[in-house]
Amino acid sequence: MPAPVTRDQLPDVPAARAISRSPILQARGVTKRFGDVAALQEFDIDVHAGECVGLIGPNGAGKSTFIGCLYGVVLRTAGQLTVFGHDPAKNARAIKQRLGVVTQDNALDEGLTVVENMRLYARFVGLSKAQATPRIDELLAHMALEQKRDATIKMLSGGMKRRLTFVRALLSDPELLILDEPTTGLDPAVRHLLWEKVLSFRQAGKTVLVTTHYMHEAEILCNRIVILNRGAVVGSGAPRDLIQRETPGFVGIFSPEAEARLRPLIRDGWELFHQGRQCCVRAPELADLLGLQERSGILALQLRPSNLEDVYLKLTGKELAEDE
Amino acid sequence: MSEFETSFRLSWHVVVRNWTVYRKDFLANISPTLADPALMMVSLGMGLSPFIGQILGLSYAGYLAPGMIATTALFTAFFDCSYGFYVRMNYESIFKAMLTTPIGVREIIIGEFLWVFSRASAMGGIVGLVLAAMGLVPHAWQLLVFPLIAGLISLPCGAIGLLSAGYVRNINQFQTVYSFLIAPIFYLSGVFFPLGDQPVLKIVVNVSPFYHGVRLMQMTAWGRGTWTEVLVHLVGLLLFAIVLGWLAYRRAIRKLTT
Repeated sequence: MPAPVTRDQLPDVPAARAISRSPILQARGVTKRFGDVAALQEFDIDVHAGECVGLIGPNGAGKSTFIGCLYGVVLRTAGQLTVFGHDPAKNARAIKQRLGVVTQDNALDEGLTVVENMRLYARFVGLSKAQATPRIDELLAHMALEQKRDATIKMLSGGMKRRLTFVRALLSDPELLILDEPTTGLDPAVRHLLWEKVLSFRQAGKTVLVTTHYMHEAEILCNRIVILNRGAVVGSGAPRDLIQRETPGFVGIFSPEAEARLRPLIRDGWELFHQGRQCCVRAPELADLLGLQERSGILALQLRPSNLEDVYLKLTGKELAEDE
Repeated sequence: MSEFETSFRLSWHVVVRNWTVYRKDFLANISPTLADPALMMVSLGMGLSPFIGQILGLSYAGYLAPGMIATTALFTAFFDCSYGFYVRMNYESIFKAMLTTPIGVREIIIGEFLWVFSRASAMGGIVGLVLAAMGLVPHAWQLLVFPLIAGLISLPCGAIGLLSAGYVRNINQFQTVYSFLIAPIFYLSGVFFPLGDQPVLKIVVNVSPFYHGVRLMQMTAWGRGTWTEVLVHLVGLLLFAIVLGWLAYRRAIRKLTT
């Protein structure tokens, strides 16, 4: 079982040093419409080498649409887009030679074995047989899949398939790794293993672009977050800055019945809101919430620092403020 | 490396991928393409010959033989490019992963055509050998030409398969394409009977790419026909291959990108 990853292990210093001046990915006003529906509107972003940028947002927010635009499977309706200096609508191949993609579906050849799948992909990305063999062995070992090299894909567990999809994306030793919901549906052990691998990839000065529904994942992996909602950016920044800016302080989570008694005790600068059915109070200091517990005589279900999930729920409108 | 070379090499990877999967189930994959024409030769060719007598101065088995090679090419190409491509695209998501590599939609489609050309040629060659064993191939050089024509037949027929894969809304609809397009093409293109006495059919059938392929096969197998006829049918076959292939490519772009 891999050691748990914490934010403190983030390779802030080497990654920061590796961040170069000119962006390897630049989007200006990128828009994608399907008929009247704008899947992505006026999207701007700069990604520099060495960064890990997280795209978060509800289903249908435009995350995967943007990812598709980067390597030419989604053709944008408007806007400027360059990756490694090339426009993906004109020269996708030049871009694809330098990136690895962990697609949302694993899309592995189910009837073939692990090693057959990887040999094919090594061929696709231009590795000779002599280059491919050691590279495949190394990556399979890296992802703890060496015992499975002759197993058919059908025989693998969901976690193993996902790890193999990572191996596939890393075969060409890409400069930019794109992860489209990399750990959805995986157990915590596999998730931690994959985070480890992404962090070590980043540590090598490489760039990562990740979409995820897991805020904890975004917080661990990314130095910068972009929150999308209905195709538009609703917030962006370093995870800590975003929290500081949008939802500073601490959150107490109470049962729905507590609301009536808590409401009169809410002070200026505090906030009472709902997450799902639960009643939440945000206050600048932990001591404020401890005081609230004392005065109301109600113990919170949970007291915690504000996190990225709070920011996400606030900015995507999924958190319902009391006046809504 | 030139753009052409690079693109061709990437297209060839698609052939390698399909072959890698195909050979896993080699016997199951090869059986229908060989068993069907062999059975038809035995049942129709051998079975009916004594009752039919001569057609165009040939035994019925002799008449039927070249059509069987063409038929193998038709079915190999249509089924691989319709059901096969559809499954690769929608169920196995093969192209989703492929398109993250330097391979593009153009290479996928050219690769599919190269694959089906190779496969149909091989099958045509093997059916040719079976017919030779039955004593229906008088000259050795014919065994070299059959695979080439089979390959050419597979291009427009494969394109019809790709086009249908690009338009059907679910996998059952291929049955409709088969019943209303492929089956009539198969039964009415002169494989089973000469079209000489059918004035209307003789004209209509020119819009079937398969017919031109059948004629080329028959001229090769029977050693009859003029060079003008060969040229006309060759051009016909190639024209269909180019036009339908291009339409299939346009449709594939719409299916594989958004």
